Amino acid sequence: MPTITIKLTLNGEQREGNAQPAQTALSFLRDVMGQKSVKEGCGIGECGACTVIVNGKAVNTCLMPAGQLDGATVITTEGLGTEENPHPLQSAFVKHNAIQCGYCSPGFMMNAKALLDEKPDPTREEVSKALAGNICRCTGYQQIVDAVMDAAETIREGAGS
Amino acid sequence: MTAKFIGTDITHPRIWEKAMGDALFAADLAPDDCLVLKALRAGRHHAEIVSIDYSEAEKLPGVVRIFTAKDIPGRNTTGIINKDWPVLAEGKIRSMADAVALVAAETEQAAQAALRAIKVEYKDLPALLNPFDALKEDAPKIHEGGNLLFTRVVKRGDAEAAFATAANIIEREYKTPAIEHCYMEPDAGYGYVDEDGALAIVVCTQNPHFDLGEVCAVLDLPEDKVRIIQAVTGGGFGSKLDITVQGYIGLALYHLKRPVRYFYNKEEALLATGKRHPMWITIKTGVDKDGKLVACHAHITGDGGAYGSYGIAVATRAAVHATGPYACPNVDITALEVYTNNLFACAMRGFGTPQVAFAYESQMDLHAQALGLDPIEIRLRNALRPGAHTATGQLMTASCGLPNCLEAVKPYYHDAVTTWVKEEPSSPTRRRGVGVGAMWYGCGSTGAANPATAQVEVDENGIVTLFTGCADIGQGSSIVLLQLAGEVLGLHPSKFRLVCADTKYTTNAGASSASRQTYISGNAVVLATTEMAEALKKAAAAILEVGPETLELDDGLIRVIADHAQKVTFADAAKHIAKAGEALRWEGFFDPDTTPLAAEDGQGVPYGTYAFACQMAMIEVDVLTGEVDVIKIVAAHDVGRGVSPANLVGQIGGGIGIGQGFALTEEFETGVTESLTDYHIATVMDMPEIVPIIVEDHEPSGPFGAKGIGEPALVPTAPAILNAIEMALGERIYELPANLERVLDASRKAGWPDKLEF
Repeated sequence: MPTITIKLTLNGEQREGNAQPAQTALSFLRDVMGQKSVKEGCGIGECGACTVIVNGKAVNTCLMPAGQLDGATVITTEGLGTEENPHPLQSAFVKHNAIQCGYCSPGFMMNAKALLDEKPDPTREEVSKALAGNICRCTGYQQIVDAVMDAAETIREGAGS
Repeated sequence: MTAKFIGTDITHPRIWEKAMGDALFAADLAPDDCLVLKALRAGRHHAEIVSIDYSEAEKLPGVVRIFTAKDIPGRNTTGIINKDWPVLAEGKIRSMADAVALVAAETEQAAQAALRAIKVEYKDLPALLNPFDALKEDAPKIHEGGNLLFTRVVKRGDAEAAFATAANIIEREYKTPAIEHCYMEPDAGYGYVDEDGALAIVVCTQNPHFDLGEVCAVLDLPEDKVRIIQAVTGGGFGSKLDITVQGYIGLALYHLKRPVRYFYNKEEALLATGKRHPMWITIKTGVDKDGKLVACHAHITGDGGAYGSYGIAVATRAAVHATGPYACPNVDITALEVYTNNLFACAMRGFGTPQVAFAYESQMDLHAQALGLDPIEIRLRNALRPGAHTATGQLMTASCGLPNCLEAVKPYYHDAVTTWVKEEPSSPTRRRGVGVGAMWYGCGSTGAANPATAQVEVDENGIVTLFTGCADIGQGSSIVLLQLAGEVLGLHPSKFRLVCADTKYTTNAGASSASRQTYISGNAVVLATTEMAEALKKAAAAILEVGPETLELDDGLIRVIADHAQKVTFADAAKHIAKAGEALRWEGFFDPDTTPLAAEDGQGVPYGTYAFACQMAMIEVDVLTGEVDVIKIVAAHDVGRGVSPANLVGQIGGGIGIGQGFALTEEFETGVTESLTDYHIATVMDMPEIVPIIVEDHEPSGPFGAKGIGEPALVPTAPAILNAIEMALGERIYELPANLERVLDASRKAGWPDKLEF
C-alpha cells in the first residue's frame, strides 16, 4: 500500500513517519508517533477526547486527515510538561480533582492550553465556551473549569515574575 | 479520636499519570502485532439463523480464523444473574447486537472484509419492542422460558384497607426511557498467553473476578488457566459489569494462542452494550391529613431487552425502593422484568431507583400541593428514621440521614422560593421554578451475599502492600481504600504499594457497583489492616517488653504512647513475626448482614445500610421553546462518614450531570441511536452551579462509619428538576426525558405562550 511521508514538529522535536492515505491524524499520532494520550472517544468529532494542538489551534484529530500534519507544529499532552516540571494545567487538574477516569483529560488540557495561549485571563464563561466541545461523563465539569481558572492564574503569575 | 487520613484529600496514586497523558488504557497497551477481532452483528431484532457460510470469508487475505458458536468449548451463555446471553449466537437472534461470528484477522481492513463476506441466512420473526407486546399471550417467545423473566412482589400491611383511611390519594403513570451510560472509553481489551501459560485478558472492567468466572465457563477452563487484568478503565457507570470483549478475546486466545485484541469503536459500544431499563410505573399513594404516607401501591414494568444481565436485581431494587425514603406501613408493589427484542438492559448507576424516584418524588409533591404543605416539610414528616420499618420490613436502627439532608437544603429552598423565583427571569419568555428530590439507596447487592476480601502484607523491610480485587474505574475507590488502610496502620496512603484488580494476585472483591466498595471492600480492608496492626503491636510489645495496649502505630513505627522514644520499626516487628514462623499477610472478609427477600411478599433485610440524599434544583423554562436551563443544584448527601471529600464532590458533580441528562435530554432508541450525534449528554455549558453538602450520619457497620455515594449522587437530580419545572409551568410532566417537545407541550397546556406580555 502506498504511504505518504509526514514531517512534523511534535512536542518540539522534528519527527517523521509514514501514513496511509486514508489514515486520520488521530491514528497517525497514536499508532505511528506513539502519542497514546490522544484518545479515540466517538470518532466523529463529538467528544473532544482526541484533541491536540496543531499550529496553535485545538483540533479534533479524528476528523483530520494525517496528511494535514505534514509541516505542522503539534503539541500533545505528552509534550505538555514533565514529571519534574508539570505544566500548570496538569498540576491544577490534579489539585482540583478534575480527573476521574482520565480518558477525556488529555483532550480537555489540550483545548485549555490553546485557550490560555491565546487568552491568558479568561472568564469562567470563556473557559466553558472553549471547552464546550469536550465531553466528560465523570466529573460534572465544575472541577475542570476550576482547574483551568487556577492554571491561568499560575501562568499569569509566572509570566509576570 | 481525630482522623489522620480520613476526611482529608489525598492524591490518588494514579492521578498524576493520567494528568501527564501517561495512563495506559487497554487500547494503548495492546501490542502492535495483535490479531484484530471483530464480531459480525446480526443487525435485526428477532430471527432464526438458517445458515452461516464463512467459507469465502475465511479464504480472504489476512483472515486467520472465523469462529461461530460451535467453536465454544464450554458454556455458550453468559450473564450476571441468569445465564442467557450467548457469546456467539446459536440458532437464534434476539437483538440487533447479537454476534453471529467472530473474525480474527491480521489487520482491521482484513477483518472488515471478512465481515462483509460472511453469508448468513435468517428467517425473521416478529420483533417485540416493548414489554406490553412481549407479555401478550400469543407473543413469540424470545427465550424458551417465556418473555416474563421475573416478578418481584413487595407486600406489607394492608394497602387496600389503608387507602380507605387516606385523606388524599394520588394515582399517576410515569414513564422513563432507555439511557446509554456513555462512559468515555469505548470497551477495549487484548489478550496473550502469560508466563504461567494462562490466557491473560487485559480489559476495562468493573468486576474482574466475575469476568474470570465467565471466561472460564465459556472456555471450560479452571480459574488458574485464565487471568483478568483490569486496565485503567475509562468509566463504566454499570455498563462494564457485563462481559463485553472478554468472551471474544478468550475464545480467540484459546484456539490461536496468539495475542489478540478487540476494541469497540463508539458505534459498536453503543450497539453491543446494555442500557438503563425503560420503566412504566403506575403508582398510587395515600397520605393522612398530616401528609404522612399510609399506603403505596405500585406496578412497575421494566423493559429488560434481549438478555437478563442484572435485570432481576434492577426490578427488585425498583420494587424495594418504590416507597421512597419514607416510612409507609402498607405497601403492595409489583415489578416485572420482561424480555423484549431491544438491546439488553443492564445495571446503570442507580439500578432501577432513578426511575422510581421520579415517580415517588412527583407523588410527594402532588400530596404536598393537595394538602398545602411545604415540600421539605412533607418529606421531613415521612422520612425514615431509626425505629421505622421499610417496605421490606427492615427495621432502621441507625444512619438515617435524610432529615439532616432536608434540613441542610431547607434554607436554600426557602430563600429560592421566597426571593429568587420571584425575581425577573433572564428573559421575558422564561419562568423560574424550584424543586426538591429526595432518595434512598441500599448499599450492596439486594438480599444476596456480596462479600469482599482484601489482604495486606508487610515485608521485612517494612514495606506495606495492600491487595484488593476492587476495580477503580475512575470513581476513586483505590484512594478510599488506601485512606482506610492508612488510618488503621498510621501510615500515609502514599507509602503503600497497591495491587489492584488482577485476578492472579488479588481475590474477589465483587463488583464496583451498587455503591458498595467503600462500604464492603472498605470493611474488608479495615479488618485486614486491623489484624496486621494487632500483630505488629504484639511483636513490638515482646521486643519492648511492654503491654500491646500501651502501643500506637505511627508512620512506620510502633511506639509507646506515653514515651515515643520507645519504638520499633515495622521492619523489625515484621522480622520478629517472621522469625516466629508466622505469615506476614492478613486477610479481611466482609459481607453485609442481610437476609434474602421472601419470594411471596419481598420481606427481609436486603441491605446492611442505606445512603440518603436530598437535592434542590433552581431552573428557568423558556415557555416558547421548551428549553430548560438548570441554574443551580444544592446537593445534600448522607455518606455516613466522608472518607475522601474531593472524591465525594466528584461523584456528586458527575451524578448530577447524568441525572440532568436523564431528566432533560437523554433517550436511547434501539436501532435509531447509532452514534454520539444521536445522543445528547451534558457539556460544560449545560451544567448548573453545584453546591455539594456532605452530611455524616455515622453508619455503625461501615468502615469508620462510611457508606456509599456513587449512585445516590444521580438519583435525586431528575425528580428535583421535574418538580421545579412543575413549579415554573404549573403543569407536571410524567414522561422522561422532559425534552423540548414535552416541556413545550406542558407550557402550551398551561397556556403560557398566550399569557406572555411584551
